[in-house]
Amino acid sequence: MAQEITLNDIRKQFGDIVAVKDVSVTFEAGDFVSLVGPSGCGKTTTLRMIAGLETPTAGRIHFDGVELTETTPQERPISMVFQNTALYPHMTCRENIGYGLKIHGIPKAERNDRIEEAADILQIPDQLDKMPGELSGGQQQRVALGQAFVEQPDVLLLDEPMSDLDAKLKEELRVEIQRLHRKLDATVVYVTHDQNEAMTMSDRIVLMDDGEVAQYDEPRTLFDRPNSEYVATFIGTPTTNVLEFEVEGQTAIHSAATIDLPSTLSTYSRLKIGVRPRALTPGKGTFGLDLTIDVIETMGHEHAIHATTPDGETSVEFVVDDVDDFAVGQTVTAGADLSDLLFFDETGAHLAYGSDLATTQEAGQR
Amino acid sequence: MFENRTGGPGGLVSSRTQRRVRRVALYLTALIVTAFIVTPLYVMIIVSLQSPETLFSGGELTLFSTELSLSNFRTLVTETATPRYLLNSFIITAGVVLVSTVLAVVSGYGLARFSFRGKTTTARLILFSYMFSPIVLAIPLYIIFFNLGLLNSHLAAIFSISAIAAPFSIWLMWQYFQNIPVTYEESAWTSGATRWRTIRDVVLPLARPGYVSVAIFAFSVAWNDYTMVKIVLSEQALYPITLGSSLFLDQLNIGWGEQMAAAVVMSIPPFLVALFLQNYLLQGFNLGHE
Repeated sequence: MAQEITLNDIRKQFGDIVAVKDVSVTFEAGDFVSLVGPSGCGKTTTLRMIAGLETPTAGRIHFDGVELTETTPQERPISMVFQNTALYPHMTCRENIGYGLKIHGIPKAERNDRIEEAADILQIPDQLDKMPGELSGGQQQRVALGQAFVEQPDVLLLDEPMSDLDAKLKEELRVEIQRLHRKLDATVVYVTHDQNEAMTMSDRIVLMDDGEVAQYDEPRTLFDRPNSEYVATFIGTPTTNVLEFEVEGQTAIHSAATIDLPSTLSTYSRLKIGVRPRALTPGKGTFGLDLTIDVIETMGHEHAIHATTPDGETSVEFVVDDVDDFAVGQTVTAGADLSDLLFFDETGAHLAYGSDLATTQEAGQR
Repeated sequence: MFENRTGGPGGLVSSRTQRRVRRVALYLTALIVTAFIVTPLYVMIIVSLQSPETLFSGGELTLFSTELSLSNFRTLVTETATPRYLLNSFIITAGVVLVSTVLAVVSGYGLARFSFRGKTTTARLILFSYMFSPIVLAIPLYIIFFNLGLLNSHLAAIFSISAIAAPFSIWLMWQYFQNIPVTYEESAWTSGATRWRTIRDVVLPLARPGYVSVAIFAFSVAWNDYTMVKIVLSEQALYPITLGSSLFLDQLNIGWGEQMAAAVVMSIPPFLVALFLQNYLLQGFNLGHE
């Protein structure tokens, strides 16, 4: 049975360094939750505390309401897959996958059945009697997944299991991991620095920043309603454009554009306004950014255009379907609507979502 | 700007010549080293295989002989306590290998995996104690064993030689454990294995080259030891072969032939150990640098 995991004011200090700062989150039973953030943000430490490999300096950890803060990894209903595959080099893949079952005293025949079932699901039935050293990186990672899967844990912890693999294998395994999640009745906690992985796989995402939770939400919400500049720029590729505006009266002024502000925002003297590259369209929208094109990148059916604002200080990216009308050095006006804009204060804290402002504006006009 | 004139690609000397020079130098060095090692071994063996009558025939030492006999070995067995000495050597060596290896594995694991107050100091002290000549330890150890009433026993010999072998053994094992990623153990723990079970199933198999090296090192220290046994043992019946064979020349009926025969016998076990375990030895001392 999948278990609910609750972290209550979890704190971890290594000497003077605070790796995790009073994190409180609840992972629903059966959810696929990703812990994502840049390296050093505390995501792996948080996972290791859930696993019992680190003891929190302060705070409580509950699994399904049972406190497990001080218990050892052996006492927790978990399986873990490690970043650098921890396959035992002196055991065959079969022994590796079956090690946990052997520890738990499962008879050999049943063990073999379950190992073979896991191997079939992970498409490695031919590799079972080889040593891990004979396998490719992708196959090794499949064996490691099998090791965790075969135990049918209530909680499956994955610590950047794909960081050493190439892009194509990552895509394959991403599907594999999601399939495993559906087959297992388990809460999955997945640590990654790759927001793309987190966005595609998770039910919910914990985005961490310097030991704290920046935002904990569903992927869609994280993308549409980021609660800070940090979240807005971390999630989504290409990254969100953020421009810093001076406010004079009711208008926000930047060398690239002037934007009429709703009255709620005109009290600030400086504002940061964010807009997603895909929301910017040349020649459209109510607000236009004057830009000079620097670089055009082709990504197949769409193209990323890197441009600079007239003051030359901010680079802005936007995405177009057809690249024929653009050339390097050309000036364009890329537009967006109020509903596409994200408003932050000078420090990057959230102020308003353009989509909300647009709705109220419409309502006011009516 | 001169460093690449003679060596390396594009130097004044063609790379083929460089290769040739390198190979000649390598073989020459190997040849000189071999000559230095093989000559005494050859003298030892040839002397041991000649009867006293042929050995000094013509007033000179015969170094090339066709009349070989095993009579010296026969004399060793029948007229000296060599079998007894050899047995003692085996008992002491086995004891030292066991004590040192267990001590090194346990301490090395503790140093590598647990953090405790004064850990760095402990580790430094261990290595520092290796700097002392064994003879410095001899008197204190003598006093300790005297007080314990263990003097003149194999146990005293085993513990005193282990004391000499321990610092390096512990240091080697400590380094070896540090080279084993802790992830293997963490993976086993999250699979539900206890610490002891993890050590048995995961740590010890991975550390095998390390503790085999330690065992070989302890073997060579114990087998070749002279100083420690000389100090803690006083009864001849307890002497190992190193100590026992040094007494031969005092005996009237024993000559150079028998002495060299004893040396040959003494050399066989280390030779076999080196022959069969050399791969482990290289792996262990390499400490993961493949």
